[in-house]
Amino acid sequence: MSALQIRTEHITKDYPGTRALDDISVTFDSGKVHALVGKNGSGKSTLVKIFSGAIKPTAGDFFLNDEKLHFNSTSDSYDKGIVTVYQEMSLVPFLSVAENIFLGRLPKKNHAIDWRTTYQMAGELLQKMKVDIDPREKVYRLSMWQSQVVEITKSLSFNPKVILLDEPTSALAQHEVQSLFEAVRALRDQGVVVLYITHKLQELPQIADTVTVLRDGKLVGSVPMRDVEHKDIINMMFGEIKTRNRPNDIQMQDDVIMEVKGLRREGWYQDVNFKLQRGEVLGIAGMLGSGRTELLRGIFGADPVDGGEVVIEGKTYRKANPIKMKDAGVGLTPENRKTEGLILIHSISDNLCYASLNLTANGWVENKRKRHAFAQKQVDELEIKIPTLVAPCESLSGGNQQKVVVGNWLNNSPKIMLYDEPSRGIDVSAKQQIFEIMWAQARKGVSSIFVSTELEELLEVCHRILIMRHGRIVDDVKPEEVNINELYEICMRGDN
Amino acid sequence: MENTTAVGKPRVNQKKLQIFLLDHVIEIFLAVLIIYLTIRMDSFMTWSNWMNILRSNSLKGVIALGMTMVIIAGMIDLSIGSTVALAGVIVARSCRDFTAGGMDLNTACVIGILISFAVAILIGWLHGTFQHRMGMPAFIVTLVTLNALYGLAGIVSGGYPIANQFPQWFNQLGMGRVGGQNGVPIPAIVLIISFLVILFIMNYTTTGRSVYAVGGNPESARLSGINVGKTKIIAFVAVQIFAVISGFMNSGQVMAGSFSFGRGWELDVISAVVIGGSSMSGGIGTVWGTLIGIIFMGVITNGMTLLNFDIYTQYVVRGIIMFLAVLISSYRAKVKA
Repeated sequence: MSALQIRTEHITKDYPGTRALDDISVTFDSGKVHALVGKNGSGKSTLVKIFSGAIKPTAGDFFLNDEKLHFNSTSDSYDKGIVTVYQEMSLVPFLSVAENIFLGRLPKKNHAIDWRTTYQMAGELLQKMKVDIDPREKVYRLSMWQSQVVEITKSLSFNPKVILLDEPTSALAQHEVQSLFEAVRALRDQGVVVLYITHKLQELPQIADTVTVLRDGKLVGSVPMRDVEHKDIINMMFGEIKTRNRPNDIQMQDDVIMEVKGLRREGWYQDVNFKLQRGEVLGIAGMLGSGRTELLRGIFGADPVDGGEVVIEGKTYRKANPIKMKDAGVGLTPENRKTEGLILIHSISDNLCYASLNLTANGWVENKRKRHAFAQKQVDELEIKIPTLVAPCESLSGGNQQKVVVGNWLNNSPKIMLYDEPSRGIDVSAKQQIFEIMWAQARKGVSSIFVSTELEELLEVCHRILIMRHGRIVDDVKPEEVNINELYEICMRGDN
Repeated sequence: MENTTAVGKPRVNQKKLQIFLLDHVIEIFLAVLIIYLTIRMDSFMTWSNWMNILRSNSLKGVIALGMTMVIIAGMIDLSIGSTVALAGVIVARSCRDFTAGGMDLNTACVIGILISFAVAILIGWLHGTFQHRMGMPAFIVTLVTLNALYGLAGIVSGGYPIANQFPQWFNQLGMGRVGGQNGVPIPAIVLIISFLVILFIMNYTTTGRSVYAVGGNPESARLSGINVGKTKIIAFVAVQIFAVISGFMNSGQVMAGSFSFGRGWELDVISAVVIGGSSMSGGIGTVWGTLIGIIFMGVITNGMTLLNFDIYTQYVVRGIIMFLAVLISSYRAKVKA
């Protein structure tokens, strides 16, 4: 196959208020795996969306070989041979591998599906990928990496020139990653331009031939992988950034309010031990899949645990559940506020008072006036912008919805708040307000555990940060003692 | 700026009006229907006709009130018709067999009633437990009991109706009236009391708010520390208890217990709840709406009978109304979003 290349010239993409991509000129050749890295919001997914035809650039052009590309929709990019494999699976679990690969365009003979040809063609494609998967196997029986490979094989069936792999390993276990890499290399050797989007830097030396780094919408550099080291990439990703610090008056107290002892859940986290002091804001840092969210849910009893205990103010909880934990004074704002934190079709006032259901009632009988007062109090204190208290929660912006989730728990007068990714998908000022709320609670003696993908947030907000790797707490740092690059380095260390 | 507000304001009001009309479309439709029937026929707007409507719709209506809790909790109970039959045969058999052993008839009857309630609680508990703990769809769990309880009622009754075993006062449950011959039927009074009880539970207690929360989003409810399993069980038990009460009134009316009673009632009951504006996906609905739904179904059937519609046409019309009600509630959800 002749050499191919996809190239951008001065691509810029503006969104209201922000510039997502700023004058990007970069070239990706065939026969290589090109890693595209950058922290959240760096613009890497915007670039992918432009290649896949999901959005159009504000300015600049991009080319496949020397042909200038104009995409009005994602099907246009398919026609040109640019295929995106997204991280969320789009396979139909109860159909066979072959059927999934040729879904919607199964080969036919005399108006009936020609199964023999279907299986044969699928088998050939899978062979090209150098994997041993039976085309007749149902997809739900496959392991995660095999499904991911089938997904890639499906895109290969379109005879692509460029394949964009968006975080293909994010759902895979460690040993599965190697098998997937084999398939990606096979793909590269077919003469396809492979763009590999990832946040797992430890994978780069194994799989990438070049690495392209974006930061705040700008191209920082595009270099051969052999020329750079791990810490060079981290420096390229983060640059020099100043972190704001939490106000000085937020001092934690000396007494321990909660102790986690030997908590474990098979396959997610093992032997977790730490202490939480009164008024402390404790961060948990770690890569995606390190078990942060699962640990938080385990402490709250939202998911079952396999062993260990949580001691709160001297009382031991072994098999916790949200009801017991609520009584113990613990609250959780879940990772996904829309599906786990709120009842979107119900009113703001109702959503602010579900956790405190028993506090707004006199025994069994509801006191509507009290409930209204509880709801109004949180609206005032958290400065939630609402049309009226009876408006449905779905009418609010992300930031205000998040405040409702927090307010729901604050109405229950918690002693310990567990925040799982509270800043996800909300704008900068709302983020800052959420942090202000955490600090205000800390001043009142409420302790917090704060899980976030954004390491700079942890540095900004917390007294202390626990580092989680592969389900274990491996380190414990103070924000004063590390900078963002070091923190990132610690989170990644020991991988492979 | 001034222009946009001048244009924007009426639009907002228009949307509000639209939502108000959609929220109350059944009430409006019912009012129009009543006015039409009143003008059209002298026999419609009479005390005795209204008491007739109430009496013949109260039996299913009582169950519909309980079903409102189940549907708002995001569940469904298809088995209630079989419970109606079972309650009747249990009491009938108790009256027959216990008195044969020398027991006083009234005591035997009361024991039968207590057994029926115990069975209702057990069935509701089973529904809630299997649905919640095992994650089985409520539709399937209650489809199983719909059949099993029908069979059980047949076994208890020995395959034949058990007639004329009840004490005379049991007849009053179904046929009695308060205030003389033209008074208010007892089933209607039971309906009103049931309405007030469910209205109170759903609007003024933590149980009611938990039911709404569980139906609205079970995962959010669970993570807010609400006992989801217990809430579902309460709803399932409630509808079964109302089905048993309805079964007593039904058997009282004809002074017999039979396994064939209550067949197919579940569809009328669910229709009334849905016409009353409850969403089958849970979290949305009102007790008041169900009451209106019951009356609406009663008035339309009564009107069609008075107008000499044949029974088959009546089924078609009721089907169309059900369709329109669901169409409107789907449209309402769209407008509000």
